[in-house]
Amino acid sequence: MKSRIHSVFVLSLLLLCSIFGAAEPGGNGDSLQDLQCGGACHGDASINETSTTILSLSTDETIYVGIPTTITLTVTNFETSTSGLIGLFLLTDMTGHSDMPQDAGWEILSDANGGAMNYIEQTLGPGQNETSISWVVRASSLGSTTFYAAIHHGGGYSSPYFGSTASGHEVSVQPVPENLPRLTADFTPPTLRIIDTPTELSIQTQFTETIQFEWKSEDGLIMNSIVNSSGENSWTTTIPAALQPTTVQWRVILEGEGPAQTTPWFILAAEESSWEIEESAVYLQAFALLFVTAGIVILLQTRLTSSPSFAKYDETSVVDEALGASQNTSPDTTLAPIPEGGLPNGWSEEQWELHGHDYLAGKHGGDQA
Amino acid sequence: MNSSETFHVVATELVVGAFSVAGLSFTLLLLVHFGILKQPSWISMFDHVAHFTLTFGLAATPFAILSGLSSAPGEGLNSPILVNKIFLSMTGFGFAVGCLIVRWRLGNNVWDSKKSTSFHVASGLAACGLMLLTASAGGTFSRGESLLDMFHLPYEHVLLFPILVSLISLFLGLAILVLSWKRMNAISSIH
Repeated sequence: MKSRIHSVFVLSLLLLCSIFGAAEPGGNGDSLQDLQCGGACHGDASINETSTTILSLSTDETIYVGIPTTITLTVTNFETSTSGLIGLFLLTDMTGHSDMPQDAGWEILSDANGGAMNYIEQTLGPGQNETSISWVVRASSLGSTTFYAAIHHGGGYSSPYFGSTASGHEVSVQPVPENLPRLTADFTPPTLRIIDTPTELSIQTQFTETIQFEWKSEDGLIMNSIVNSSGENSWTTTIPAALQPTTVQWRVILEGEGPAQTTPWFILAAEESSWEIEESAVYLQAFALLFVTAGIVILLQTRLTSSPSFAKYDETSVVDEALGASQNTSPDTTLAPIPEGGLPNGWSEEQWELHGHDYLAGKHGGDQA
Repeated sequence: MNSSETFHVVATELVVGAFSVAGLSFTLLLLVHFGILKQPSWISMFDHVAHFTLTFGLAATPFAILSGLSSAPGEGLNSPILVNKIFLSMTGFGFAVGCLIVRWRLGNNVWDSKKSTSFHVASGLAACGLMLLTASAGGTFSRGESLLDMFHLPYEHVLLFPILVSLISLFLGLAILVLSWKRMNAISSIH
């Protein structure tokens, strides 16, 4: 009975402990995610906490089809876990599936972390409870779209928090005016580059006669780079090499017959060159480790283990028994010789076996001396 | 159809769960054999549990490795942690295979002496430890943190042999395996 009570107590304790677990305290990494991710990790009504965060989306007043534009998300009034990690979503629906901008015909050209994802993670400093991030997106068709934002973050007791915009932010996509200087509709800005290597950008435009290139590093100081024409509406320029993993933002100011246009700030992140290894060498070594390990284990275990078949033919005990028997007969061979007149008076054969030598040596029965 | 990520999680949980039980059983088996845990009647139970769960974990390991490779972001082996995971899991696989083969071929004779018992349990525990280390490396790779981070294990460093050395090691391993198999057959009661 006592052991059963102990078992119930331990199981209850384990069940109670389960509510203290956080969802993904280390984050999931930037990715393309729909709101279902929130349902799986932070959105479960039975385990999450409702975030008090205020999310606010803003865009340019005028958005043209096929031309990049910026959507900015301002996040205020939130708490985080000790890691300071938050995850932010840009969505076009709140149904939990097929709700990424891509599903509504929008292309994400760059995000705040130097990728092109609708879900990004940021680590905030201690005490920071406000941040603002931007996505550069491009509409592929006319019409209106409602954008939403959502947030995942930690907090007290490692509870997972989930929150979203109170209402959507509607944008209307308009046709492009004639002769408007612009980037080509299929231009995709790079989002990553390698450290220590200058980045040569090739920019394709339409209805553009001159172009001005601006870039800024994380200190916010805006710099200009020389732009070379490499053909009609084709331009090249170079961004200096980054010396450490950091981001730069760049934009171009396009001038032509139509009104001058300024593109959004595109984010370009610098990272270490990708890690490479010869895969055949890895797999070869892996199998070598497998066979060497298994072989050594079997070899050593075989050496340490006694042989059952040897034991089956082991006759040591029989030999020992036989030897023992022969040794037991040895006293007969060393038996003192019986005198010619036979055993002394009063001696039995057993007494002679035991003390015959003493008798002959004169230690027994002094009548012989 | 489930994605390879989901399949990898399922396979990994099977492997980790099975190897954890095997490790616990081997440990208790060692304690009973050396008289620290005075329950001789448990020997048979832990013996069976340890080797059954080790077999089960071993069967699930290839699925975990293959699904892990296909679910890793990017193309190919683009992280030293992935390479270390392969090395750790294959070495653990080797320990587990060796441990199971000797238990199968030599039977209860592996428990005959203290040396033999210690070595057998050690090989089983090494298999379990390496598999759990592999899972820990997986946590570091996917989430950036793991329970074993407190040990500051050098997951970012890869000890890669030249191909010639790996090739020689592979043939050496195969030769040891064949020789030890023959030697084991010579003394085994199972023919």
